[in-house]
Amino acid sequence: MTLSRKFLLLTLVLSIAVIGSLATPAQRKRGVAKRQPAVSVASIDADGLAAVLKRQSPDAKPLLVNFWATWCDPCREEFPDLVKIDRQYRPQGLEFTAVSLDDPTEIKTAVPKFLREMGLTTPTYLLNVSDPEPAINRVDPEWSGALPATFLFDSQGHLVYKRLGRIQVPELTAAIEKVLRSSESPVSSSGLAVPGSE
Amino acid sequence: MKKNFIPALLATTFLLAGTIIAVSGRSVEGEVPAPPAIGSTLDDFTLPDGNGKEHSLASLKGKYGAVLIFVAVQCPVSNAYNERMEKLAQEFKARGINVIGINSNAAETAEAVKAHATERKLTFPILKDPGNKIADRLGATVTPEAYFIEGSNKLLYRGRIDNSRNEAQVSSSELRDALEAGLAGKPITKTTANAFGCSIKRG
Repeated sequence: MTLSRKFLLLTLVLSIAVIGSLATPAQRKRGVAKRQPAVSVASIDADGLAAVLKRQSPDAKPLLVNFWATWCDPCREEFPDLVKIDRQYRPQGLEFTAVSLDDPTEIKTAVPKFLREMGLTTPTYLLNVSDPEPAINRVDPEWSGALPATFLFDSQGHLVYKRLGRIQVPELTAAIEKVLRSSESPVSSSGLAVPGSE
Repeated sequence: MKKNFIPALLATTFLLAGTIIAVSGRSVEGEVPAPPAIGSTLDDFTLPDGNGKEHSLASLKGKYGAVLIFVAVQCPVSNAYNERMEKLAQEFKARGINVIGINSNAAETAEAVKAHATERKLTFPILKDPGNKIADRLGATVTPEAYFIEGSNKLLYRGRIDNSRNEAQVSSSELRDALEAGLAGKPITKTTANAFGCSIKRG
């Protein structure tokens, strides 16, 4: 390489560095925002949770709900699988949300931080209640409140599958595929298997 | 043809069985049995403490009964209740009801249970439940979870200690209410109550 070519290359590199450093704070912020997906965590009470679980609109979709907390090791461990499931089945008509049982003071700190790390951008919630029992019973009266817990509701709001403890991906995806098929060709609610009903 | 038929039949059978299990919801905590009904009588059992010494329920319970509490070493919810459990244990021991901790988490060793009790100044006995046999017998799934039995081992209450992990926000104390009613010979208003906690990690 000749001296003039080396000089040209050096000038080019320096120019790019200078132009980059001249980016406005807003531009830099946008760059950061691109790398860190926006997350949504809304505070809800037991009534709010009941409203989320209700599938009343005519175009309601099946809903997968995961209850978790940042202090729960198995919750954090299984979360990447839930994010994958969300990405795989959302285009097929599944809604997914996560409900955090963290302390309400974590709603702007630890909870969104974890969700951002997981890359989950769908709306999520933090349950803010003084007594957890009505919320637990609204989801499933047979649930003790042990975390993690994952529930699948069909498009009519009926509980069709649950997993208390860590999810088993093949089992969960089988249940999701079944409920998505049912949603395509609606059947009567009595035709769906409800856990604990046998 | 025949050679292909049997594997095909087996594959179809397994596929069908898998599908039925997947949608039937029998996935709850690896088929944990349901808890015994309130009013039923628990059989005596024997479990080792942190030193490996065996203790029977009969030898540990008080004159008027016992409170079995499923606890954990690492669960933040269970740990948030350490002081409350210790206070309850001291108060009711003097009144004839003994608190007994049970650790059924497969990953938490007897040594860890012993060290944790020493570190957190828990003076009530904490037993190790190898193979989670007692957790299965009682249908326990979460820590902390309490079972109050009277002197004859009749189950009077099952569930949470109170309604909040944060002691400052407690507004109902179902376990304490059950103990007071039991000691007074009065009916227990609320015999079960749930709260969020950590799953018991079975082996």
